Amino acid sequence: MKDPRVYIIAEQRKGCIAQETYELLAFARLMAKDKKPVFLVPGKNTGELAREISQKTGCDAVALTGSHLERYNLLSYAHALMEILDKEVEAWVCLPHTSMGYDLAPRLAVLLKAACITGVDSVGDGVLSRPVYSGRFREEILPKTPRVVVTVLPGAFRAGEEKPDAAGRVSVVKSAFREVPLQTLGTAEAVHTDSKIKDAEVIVSAGRGIGRKENLSLIKRLANLFPRSAIGASRSVCDLGWLEYKHQIGTTGQTVSPRLYIACGISGAFQHVAGIRGAQTIVAINRDPHAAIFQVAHYCIVEDLETFIPMLLDELSVKVR
Amino acid sequence: MRGKLIVDTVLRQLIGRSCLITEPVEMNILVCIKQVPDSFETLQINERTGLVGLPLNTAFRMNRFDEFALEEALLMKERLSGALVHALSVGPERVSDTVQRALGMGADHGIHILDSSEGYISPLIVASVIAAFARTRRYDIILTGAMAEDTMACQTGQLVAALLDLPCATSVMKEEIDLDREQIVVEREIEGGSRERMQIKMPAVLTVQPGINHPRYPSFSKVMRARSYAQERIRAQNLTPEEPRESSLGMQIPEPASQGVFIEGSPREKALELITILHEKSLLS
Repeated sequence: MKDPRVYIIAEQRKGCIAQETYELLAFARLMAKDKKPVFLVPGKNTGELAREISQKTGCDAVALTGSHLERYNLLSYAHALMEILDKEVEAWVCLPHTSMGYDLAPRLAVLLKAACITGVDSVGDGVLSRPVYSGRFREEILPKTPRVVVTVLPGAFRAGEEKPDAAGRVSVVKSAFREVPLQTLGTAEAVHTDSKIKDAEVIVSAGRGIGRKENLSLIKRLANLFPRSAIGASRSVCDLGWLEYKHQIGTTGQTVSPRLYIACGISGAFQHVAGIRGAQTIVAINRDPHAAIFQVAHYCIVEDLETFIPMLLDELSVKVR
Repeated sequence: MRGKLIVDTVLRQLIGRSCLITEPVEMNILVCIKQVPDSFETLQINERTGLVGLPLNTAFRMNRFDEFALEEALLMKERLSGALVHALSVGPERVSDTVQRALGMGADHGIHILDSSEGYISPLIVASVIAAFARTRRYDIILTGAMAEDTMACQTGQLVAALLDLPCATSVMKEEIDLDREQIVVEREIEGGSRERMQIKMPAVLTVQPGINHPRYPSFSKVMRARSYAQERIRAQNLTPEEPRESSLGMQIPEPASQGVFIEGSPREKALELITILHEKSLLS
């Protein structure tokens, strides 16, 4: 079988190429072993960034430029990318599953009449695999169209240390401005950050699985037994109003790397897991033996929190004293 | 601030049109909601179909992301007198209960697109049916949750927008409607909790991020009133769904903890074992 051409849509963050862009290279290599992917780099003036990619990876890179592409804009980006992509009869288009990627991928798929497969975390023999039901199950998907658009979960593939023999070719394509009914006005930095969480050596985190707000006292008592500790939370616990957003850990919250992370009643959706990859030791307590958090935890405890944590507190207070 | 804007708009309307009665705005908001199993803990993979089996006693509820979308639609309706909220769901017979709940929360009109097909359902199929239906009406704003908890694809809203050739903003955490300019200023949540501010022309599709509001519970009076509401029912086949562009090879249970150790024993034994491990790693003082 002939490998299709693979395109990687580069993402910028604060003027640099986002790490997820390089992770897509590892994915693309598994998809099409014999063909080097081509990077498409949309932005105001991305010639230099395209050069950087071509030098780091040895792949060709196309800068799609124009002042209307300075900030991410779904419609302007889609138009610019289609100028290149629409020429391909058969192609895989890869994006990171980020706020840019999942925003843009379905639009490209409709324009390209392509299959759209999102949130993928592994691939083999052209079959894509993705977590579903909060990671309890995995779904295997086989695309049936010659054009395919894929988004890949951040952190699912490791960006390798590339040592290319030679840099790839770099080209610059000026994208024509088109009036679109959507404008990006600007970005505002996160309002909810907590240096206590960033600096903590031990983080005890609560998920929806703690059952009720009152059980937070158990989480707090457990955290109090460790010096330099902090309370973390999954997104849904913050959405419920049980804890403030400054406690949130994950893709839309904070990324942490404590020595010890204790996940209590956390299901382990990728959005949360992406925020704790730097933790040295992960302990997970969950009554559901199939919870996805057990796929990343080092020590797994299948127990009901309401009985287990008091018991643990009991034994710990004896030891600590 | 938002309240003031609306008052201004109303005043301008009053002066501009020199009439004394506040003219209610004509605005139709479509909210797309999905029904999902209430708990995933009891679900198993059906050996025969290779798909997630739904035991007969499975309880269902509204996808949480969509509850936030519906609440945001109801808040829009409260701000703009005269706006109507239409709640739509695609799925088998049972989905009608979720549409009913939406009516109980305050939606004005329920739409059930009946689709009893089994097996893998591509997001494109659902989106094409919603888009085909929306084409027959005039919606100013289409809202849906940023993601479905079960299939986790984050596609439906974006696909509907693309199929209808409408602008779209995903993961919306704040919205402000400017009726005069027929546009919405939104803030979408991006990585690290930062916000991207966008200005989007109506009609538009917004996918809503949890945390944007606090979804209400259905009120008794609304539930009682909603009982008499008939839901509009359309068969999905009559809306010419797109052909799927991918197929499912089935579901699998993920490999158990690749790096992890399950601590066994009674709860107390597990607690003691964990303490020993934490000691060995010098994690306890």
